[in-house]
Amino acid sequence: MSWVGKSLRRKEDDRLVRGHGLFTDDELGEGMLHLYILRSPYAHARINSIDTSAAEALPGVACVLTGKDVLEHCDPYMQLGPGPTAEILDYSLARDKALYQGEPVAAVAAETPQLAMDAGQLIDVDYDMLDAVMDVETALENEILVHDNIGTNQTWNGVYEYGDVDQAFADAAHVVKIDRLHFHRYSSTPLENNACVAEWTRHGEVEFLCNNNFAGFAKQLLAPGLRLPIEKIRVRTFDVGGAFGNKIWNYVYMALCALASKKTGGRRVKWSEIRTEHLLASGHGNERTYLDTEVALDGDGVITAIRSRHLDDCGAYTRYEPLGCVIFSQVLAATYKLRNIRIEMTQAVTNKCPVVPNRGYSRMQQLWFMERVVDICAHELGIPADEMRLKNYITDFPYETPNGCVYDSGDYPKMLDMAKELVEWDKWVAYRDEARAAGRHVGIGIGTTLDSGTNNFGQAQIMNPYLPFSGNAEACIIRLDFDGAVVVTLGTGPSGQGHETSASQVVADELNIDPAMVTVRSGFDTNWNTFVGHSGSYASQFAVTGLSAVHGACQKLKAEMRQLAAFMLEASEEDLVLGVGDEGPELRVKGTDKFVNYWAMSNIVNNNNAVLQGELPDVTLNVRHVYRPPFKVPDVEKKFGNLTLTYAAQLHIAVVEIDPATSRVEIKAYAAVDDCGTVINPQIAHGQVHGATVHGIGAAIMESFDYDETGNLLTSTFSDYCPITSVNTPDIAYGNIETPSPFSYNGAKGMGEGGGAPVHTMSAAVQDALHGAGVIVTDSFTSPPRVFDMIRNPNRETAVSVDSR
Amino acid sequence: MYPAPFRYHRAGSVAEAIRMLGDIGEGARALAGGQSLLVLLKVRFDEPTDLVDLARIPDLDTIDQGNGEIRIGALTTHASIARSELSTAIPIVGDCANGIADNQVRSRGTIGGNVCSGDPSCDWPTLLATLDAQVHCEGPDGKRAVPVTEFVEDLYATVLGQGEIVTGISFPTPAVGSAGAYVGFKRCAPAYPTSSVGLQLALNGDDCEDVRIALGSSGLTSIHATDAEAELRGKTLTDDVIAKAAEAAAAQAEPIEDQRGSEDFKRSLIDTLVKRGVGVARRRCAGETVEVSHEYY
Repeated sequence: MSWVGKSLRRKEDDRLVRGHGLFTDDELGEGMLHLYILRSPYAHARINSIDTSAAEALPGVACVLTGKDVLEHCDPYMQLGPGPTAEILDYSLARDKALYQGEPVAAVAAETPQLAMDAGQLIDVDYDMLDAVMDVETALENEILVHDNIGTNQTWNGVYEYGDVDQAFADAAHVVKIDRLHFHRYSSTPLENNACVAEWTRHGEVEFLCNNNFAGFAKQLLAPGLRLPIEKIRVRTFDVGGAFGNKIWNYVYMALCALASKKTGGRRVKWSEIRTEHLLASGHGNERTYLDTEVALDGDGVITAIRSRHLDDCGAYTRYEPLGCVIFSQVLAATYKLRNIRIEMTQAVTNKCPVVPNRGYSRMQQLWFMERVVDICAHELGIPADEMRLKNYITDFPYETPNGCVYDSGDYPKMLDMAKELVEWDKWVAYRDEARAAGRHVGIGIGTTLDSGTNNFGQAQIMNPYLPFSGNAEACIIRLDFDGAVVVTLGTGPSGQGHETSASQVVADELNIDPAMVTVRSGFDTNWNTFVGHSGSYASQFAVTGLSAVHGACQKLKAEMRQLAAFMLEASEEDLVLGVGDEGPELRVKGTDKFVNYWAMSNIVNNNNAVLQGELPDVTLNVRHVYRPPFKVPDVEKKFGNLTLTYAAQLHIAVVEIDPATSRVEIKAYAAVDDCGTVINPQIAHGQVHGATVHGIGAAIMESFDYDETGNLLTSTFSDYCPITSVNTPDIAYGNIETPSPFSYNGAKGMGEGGGAPVHTMSAAVQDALHGAGVIVTDSFTSPPRVFDMIRNPNRETAVSVDSR
Repeated sequence: MYPAPFRYHRAGSVAEAIRMLGDIGEGARALAGGQSLLVLLKVRFDEPTDLVDLARIPDLDTIDQGNGEIRIGALTTHASIARSELSTAIPIVGDCANGIADNQVRSRGTIGGNVCSGDPSCDWPTLLATLDAQVHCEGPDGKRAVPVTEFVEDLYATVLGQGEIVTGISFPTPAVGSAGAYVGFKRCAPAYPTSSVGLQLALNGDDCEDVRIALGSSGLTSIHATDAEAELRGKTLTDDVIAKAAEAAAAQAEPIEDQRGSEDFKRSLIDTLVKRGVGVARRRCAGETVEVSHEYY
């Protein structure tokens, strides 16, 4: 009997669907204060003065915070970047300048949220509006500086060069030049906004209840920021309503609540973000521009080399950046076998909302780029998109990429076949050709995506050689409670991925019991022992790091239980079998009626240990295991090394028809095939694929953070930003293949971040529909107004050129 | 988000509401379904001192027919209009009521409130302009009826005076054999339409005896597309004639570029929607049942 591989119903859902979840904003308490944050209305403005007297005079206001308070009580947050970037001063409140619209400028803690907001309106900030720098190319001219003290807007620059690029171009049969491509700004808009409750206790410790999804990291940033030793900071999470990476950086708000608590003598302070604040200032996905791209191909349409310049716009603060300038290289050549690559990656700050990791972080920008390259070359050389991919796909695994990453397993041609079958390829090709003959715009697009998971933090050293980070890890504690109940705690801090369920399935298999007999403690608590610095839910890794930790802990527990049961039953360990008997989970001497159940074992260890007569002193039935993937520190000079352990893949096909009357991109059919190695829970995997696909379709046709030239965000409500809803969602035909990873004990690969897959799939489909009309899709956002412009202003003449010899 | 503090009053009758609003003066706002007003208050775009809640006033949520006209009480919700026999009998009304936002908004929002918001993206003013409706108002100076096209004077501005409220809407019962359509294009349910078109046709065979067309989300107020009407009225409907009318409507529109699209994109949409509207209205004139409303991305 194996529980892994079964669509066990999610344990979490019982409380969640009954409304019994505990989200941070649900936390209430006597005497709790509520924080309101006053934000800059300007993208770039000097703050001359802040008058808080009227706000402070309002009855019910406990304290008002401004930049002065953070300067007095806090240190700037640690910066990851090298050189001048390390000197960026990032605090929880603006000091002399506001650097993006929505940047926190002051905060009020008051008895009710209403009062806090009332008081916030009474704060008088005297601003001088400054010219804003709103795009990365202008930023790199350094005429307007975002951070005056570092003297430049450039936060990172590096060249990723492998193979013999110039020779490959000299030998090429075709050289395709693509003038400019652009990946737009959007985010994953989790259902639950950021939220935090903080208490600066009388013992000088700070307790947080929050929804940060990388608490191990947050603690390391918060402590120096608040001038506290790390052990003085307790971070707890419970239910989290989606994070997608976005909540990694909410430590800046956590610190603000802590500071308000400190100033009010240790009262608990809650802050709960509203949706407009989230859209304006919580963190956007990376925006990237690709210039001067050149692609070398041989006479058969096999891509032999690419050279290009990529400019990443990271918004006003670097925060998790410039890590994105390395993370993208996990999928440098995507699913394709070319070996000669030169990409210059440059990043700059602008007066926009800071970027944060977002579902598919920095990889989807690179994958979109590569898929655009493949489709543009295919169309220009007259090669069908499916054939083009088959000519270029990597087919032998494990595969070492030019930059030393090792793709563990995969079968892209098989996924393509399955997706074609699911979508009914032949039928739609016939439909497309018929429609085209009648002058209609029908297109079929393929998108191949890698979801690289379990990252090697050593890649951070490629970005900044002085960073003391490498490898990865996750922790699990498993113990028997007094009554023998199996209790598991995890460091993973899930945000909806069903970790309680998946972990129960693994434990049930290992102990040969029912998953219902396993309690998995949800959430994260740094007062428990179940975490390491890498703990959290990010970078598609739970099935590998989390479950390997669970698996390892189970081995340790089993070893202890065997020792103990052998002692109690006066039997030999080899004769013991694990299972469930009439008296619950037990160990039994094979083929006999001699057994001991978990209660009896736990009772001896915990309540009745004189029976042991000094034997087995190390048996605690409370064991901790830390899983560490087998990583090495990359070669920083050559930018070479294995950056992630597993490579899940997605293959999507979209059939679209563009209505010439409305420019609507109607999705006629959509197929999504996933490969995340061995599947732990098919229903959960399917749900994650569906969610990621819907996110991505929304990103492609509906969702964009658009700023005007003065730095106003034009899409700061759901009515303007328009996240995708059920009425916009097509039927999605789902398929799955399993190529087990040789690098994880269970063959699983991390998954769930295939959020970028539909973006390039939709770009490909729109281009297929409009290529005949002279259109090259050069932007990842293909909403109807954009498609309207594409049709009216065909760009093929200027966007692309082909030099064939 | 929390509104600035305000006093709350519940009016038990139209007369009481008028008196309350008049007594309080400038700082008062009338509250019906709250689907526009509460949003403004929560972001503090408006900070009234007092809200006068009309929702409990009896008999303002009825739909009546008789004497050649249809009268809808101001507090009738979009959802109850959508469910009503009126929406079956006059499908253009159902097109509009069913297409407004989502279920939650339709269950709370009222036709009176929708018209009073003076928002050119709201659906009812455009639909009602298509049906040549009157807005019935009552205030300290008594009752009056104002054509809906005059009622909304400018962006977010109506002719309502101090202490005056809307009690209902009326429009002539469309002639037998005439039919209309209200069609829009929008991104998703919570968003306002990018463009919308209301169109009511009276046909004799393929000859257009009369027509009325209004454009939504296409200017500072709903636009009465008189040029397009002139292209159709008294003519035999051919593709050419319809195309000219659509072109005239697009030309008369005054769309403003925003996140929903450029001016050109919106004009192009209006052209499309006029053609679609004519197509649907013709089929309905011929007795066919046609389901339309907004088209989503």
